[in-house]
Amino acid sequence: MKFSVIIDALPYLLGAAVTTIWVSLLGVLLGQVIGVAVCVARQSGGRAADIAGGVYVSFFRGVPLLIQLLLIYYMLPLIGIDVPPLVASIAALGLASGAYVSEIYRGALNAVPHGQSEAALALGFPGRSIWARILLPQAFRISVPALVNELILLLKASSLISVVGVAELTRTSQTISASNFRPLEIYLAAGLIYLAINGALALFGTLVERRLQQA
Amino acid sequence: MTAVSQTATPPRPASAGDAVPMVSIRGVGKSFGTNEVLRDIDLTVDRSEVVCLIGPSGSGKSTLLRCINFLEVYDRGEIRIEGKLVGYTDDAQRRRLSNRDLRDLRRNVGMVFQQFNLWPHMTALENVAEALVQVRGMDKAAASAHAGRMLDRVGLAAKADSYPARLSGGQQQRVAIARVIAMEPHLMLFDEPTSALDPELVGEVLQVMRDLAADGMTMVVVTHEMGFAANVADKVAFLDRGRIAAFGTPREVFHEATEPRVQQFLQTYHERNSF
Amino acid sequence: MLDFALFVQYGPALLRGFGVTILCWGAGCLIGMALGFVLMLLRQVPVKPLRWIIRAYIEVIRGTPFLIQLFLLYSGGPSFGLRLEATTAGILGLGLYGSAYFAEIFRAGYQAVPKGQVEAALSLGMSYGAILRRVIVPAMLVSTIPAIVNMMAILTKETVVLSIITVPELMYEMQTMAAETFATFETILGMALFYWLLVEVVSRLGRRLEARVTRFLTHASPQGSSTETATARA
Repeated sequence: MKFSVIIDALPYLLGAAVTTIWVSLLGVLLGQVIGVAVCVARQSGGRAADIAGGVYVSFFRGVPLLIQLLLIYYMLPLIGIDVPPLVASIAALGLASGAYVSEIYRGALNAVPHGQSEAALALGFPGRSIWARILLPQAFRISVPALVNELILLLKASSLISVVGVAELTRTSQTISASNFRPLEIYLAAGLIYLAINGALALFGTLVERRLQQA
Repeated sequence: MTAVSQTATPPRPASAGDAVPMVSIRGVGKSFGTNEVLRDIDLTVDRSEVVCLIGPSGSGKSTLLRCINFLEVYDRGEIRIEGKLVGYTDDAQRRRLSNRDLRDLRRNVGMVFQQFNLWPHMTALENVAEALVQVRGMDKAAASAHAGRMLDRVGLAAKADSYPARLSGGQQQRVAIARVIAMEPHLMLFDEPTSALDPELVGEVLQVMRDLAADGMTMVVVTHEMGFAANVADKVAFLDRGRIAAFGTPREVFHEATEPRVQQFLQTYHERNSF
Repeated sequence: MLDFALFVQYGPALLRGFGVTILCWGAGCLIGMALGFVLMLLRQVPVKPLRWIIRAYIEVIRGTPFLIQLFLLYSGGPSFGLRLEATTAGILGLGLYGSAYFAEIFRAGYQAVPKGQVEAALSLGMSYGAILRRVIVPAMLVSTIPAIVNMMAILTKETVVLSIITVPELMYEMQTMAAETFATFETILGMALFYWLLVEVVSRLGRRLEARVTRFLTHASPQGSSTETATARA
């Protein structure tokens, strides 16, 4: 073990970690949008929407993420969308996350008593306002811990986008250890960086959860 | 009905002489932090005697019962079963007994719980046979045959192959009793055996307990069934705030006790149970 | 155009790859469960430093990407004298990765065993070993089987990551096929559909197993399957 190797590589690794973080963040945000849309569509869009949403959820939860990533990476050019690997990666992370998020929201919505929407209906609320004012705010609050967890999961999953050449933390570690022949030190450092980010996120999640419970 | 075995003569310390009581509790105390749950308890249970522990909830009766087979650790005083000190080495050092030694002690002391505590993944027969195989070292066939006879004794031969989830509370408790008597204990402890039962199921369990008492089983029973205590017990101990506030025959405790606490308790009991 | 006839041509190689996938998965699950069970038992020992070490191990495994763990084991291993073949490293990696999650599952199961069931066994004079084997483990199995099945489904999906360290499993063979035939998209699509099916099969078998294991728990009211397999991710 040579710690100097780690010190030398640290600036590059930390720079790559920043990429990892914002790719994951974008993935989570995209996942939120897709997840909420799919959830709402399945609940209020009729039978066809429910079935289509069900297939989407089942596919993206059943197929390994690595395959999803390659599928999107090779499929987009095929249908005429030529995007850099980074964009395909974010799209893949978002689509995968969306499937889980829609289920998180479904669970959270089930936890909102049915009588509340009935009360709103009885007051003459239009359907859209029931979603916007009654259901989603509560569902969001219930699902916050699950969503922070989602970010942690995506952060770990984002290591897979190294295979399409995105220079995030894992890919950068590979590149560095291939040139200095010190894989043990470099991957150890990378692992610790992932651990530190996830630890900070978990702490943040606990704080948010506590804040929400007080409110 | 075969009498529950008194065949194995338990080893007795030579000094104790002939009249070693089944259970002898001397100056027992126990605290949780600063909270004294048992204080200076003295109680003797003779062979074939039935002793009921009664009293308001939180008075320490279940804790005392659980100390007798060391499911609960007592801090002060001594509990002896057939002369043998429970839970500690019988010398000046008073070290906690090893699990192996505790096992030897518990073999002869059966316990029936409020929540039955049957093992849900075993049938009634398997529940009864299990300890015969694991503890007594019987072979499976012999254990099953013996377990079948025990189920018959509590009137449940027909339910041998049922899983606990398919039995009523009363039936489950009778299986739990069969599980204990199969081990031929010298002493049985009952921890509110009917408290978790629907009222119409209490009778069948009490009947089995009456039969056991009639067969000469030594029993210590924590109960809220004052009728059972009055009719079946040889002695009744009334516990209050960790002390024995009254002790004697049912008649002495129920009718002649002058302790205001006892009278108040019985008063409340009668009010709640009369129309 | 899409040409699925390629799958026939590459049949034997794919079949071999599938065999390796199943081997890695099965062995990984077994190692993971065995190690996870031991970790859970060791966590019950009232020695603080031991508990901290196990806790740290679990947190490290759960806090880092599986791929990084694999790289550490396979590429980093030789630096501390551990030279493993890709498949061996893959199986060991999968097992170590699974063990942290299984340890947590088993711990929850251990804590969920009703205290009274253990007390009943104690009061009958049963030894800890007998109580563990005959009372605790069966009870744990019942309460944890949905989570166990879920974890096994997750590990099914994780086997594809082994292709990155050149374990010749199904994903690896398919990528070889894709590279040789230039039918990249068809191959990946076929792969996606196949794994979709595979994970579904694992989940379904798991649900059936769960129903079998818990059948004696049902009394008058039917107790539905509590599993939503493959829902969660590691």
